[in-house]
Order: sequence, then C-alpha cells, then structure tokens
Amino acid sequence: MGKSRVRNNIRKLRFFHHEMTQQQLADQVGVTRQTIIAMEQEKYSPSLELAFRIARVFNVPLEEVFSYDVEAESI
Amino acid sequence: MSFQEKNIAVSLVTFTLILGFYLLRVFQMIQGASFNSTNVFRLWGIVIVLAIFITIFATILTQILSAIIQAIKTGEKNPKIEDIADERDRIIDLRGTKTTYFVASIGSFLSMLTFVLGQPPLVMFTLLIFFGVVAQIIGDISRLYQYRRGF
Repeated sequence: MGKSRVRNNIRKLRFFHHEMTQQQLADQVGVTRQTIIAMEQEKYSPSLELAFRIARVFNVPLEEVFSYDVEAESI
Repeated sequence: MSFQEKNIAVSLVTFTLILGFYLLRVFQMIQGASFNSTNVFRLWGIVIVLAIFITIFATILTQILSAIIQAIKTGEKNPKIEDIADERDRIIDLRGTKTTYFVASIGSFLSMLTFVLGQPPLVMFTLLIFFGVVAQIIGDISRLYQYRRGF
C-alpha cells in the first residue's frame, strides 16, 4: 500500500502542454479526474493501456511519461 | 472526495446503522425471552429489506446532494458529476468485494461452528446475518482505505 514504485512526469508534461488541466487529461484518456490526481501523487499505477493512452495524448514515448524506481524495490 | 467514495461512505454508514438495529433487536429478544424462530426470521427479512431499500435510497440521495453541492460551488446550471467508474474504481471495488467475501466466509465457518458447540440452528442463523453485515462494513472500510492510501 501507499506510494507506488512507478514514477511519472504527468504533472510536468501537462504544464508543458499549454497547462492542460487534470480534467482535460482525464476526459482525453477516459478516466476520472480523481484517477489522474492519484497517479500524479504516485498513489496509483495505471494499467498498460491507460499508460499508452496518456503517452499518446502528450505525443511522447511511454518511457518519457513513466519510469520504474528500482531503488525503491531494493528497500 | 469523489462520487464513488461518497457512495461507499454512505453504504458504510447505512450498514453500520443496520448492524446497530440488528444487534439491538437481538438483545431485546434475548432479554424479553422472545428469541424464537418466528422473530429471528422476521428480523432477517427486515434487515434484508432495509439493506436493499436504504442502499437504493441513499445512492439516489447522494447523487442529488452531490449535484446540489457542485451547483452551489461552481454556479453551473447542469453540474457535471463524475459518476463513471474507471479502471481504478473497478480494481478498488474488486479488492473490496474480495475482502467482503473473505470475512463472510470466515463468518459462515464460525456460524457453522456453533453446531459443534451444541447450539440450536437459531444461533447459527443469527450469527450468519451478523457476519454478513459485518463483512459488508469491513469491505467498505477496505475500499475507503484504498481510495485514501492508494495502491
């Protein structure tokens, strides 16, 4: 429980995409704003399908949006 | 708090009240020496009907109140309520259901155990519905916990 090991740059990418709001992103990828908030706070790791949809919205590869924290795994 | 969380919170309060009512009635029956099959099965019926109707009524009321609060907050005439369930909601719901079934299974086992202790079937039936309601409450708590803490 708690923080996930999957890190993301969603907040940063939203900022660089004309300060896209959480609601706008949520509408584009088909989830609720609460899920976007949970992902930004790293309280939820999205499914692979949702991860790809988010990357597609920002027009970047998946690795630029999500990364896996290996150090957290060894703790 | 999302719409789903509000719904779970309402369900939690509803089932806690139903549990309180059930325990109160059972203790009244035991004290009044009216703990017999007719009264116990009547109580079963009341609890099941209450659970169904109050849950439906509470869900509708939550939707209406959410819309009113949202309209006051944003000043919109047709406020948008996020009542759709996405993948996160579905996972949390599945995990909550798993917890509910787990507690209900343990409860059923413990209820059956009363036969081993030489208790009449009435005790088993009383415990069965008690654990059913407790399982629902624990399932709701686990759902709320996962919404708050994340996974």
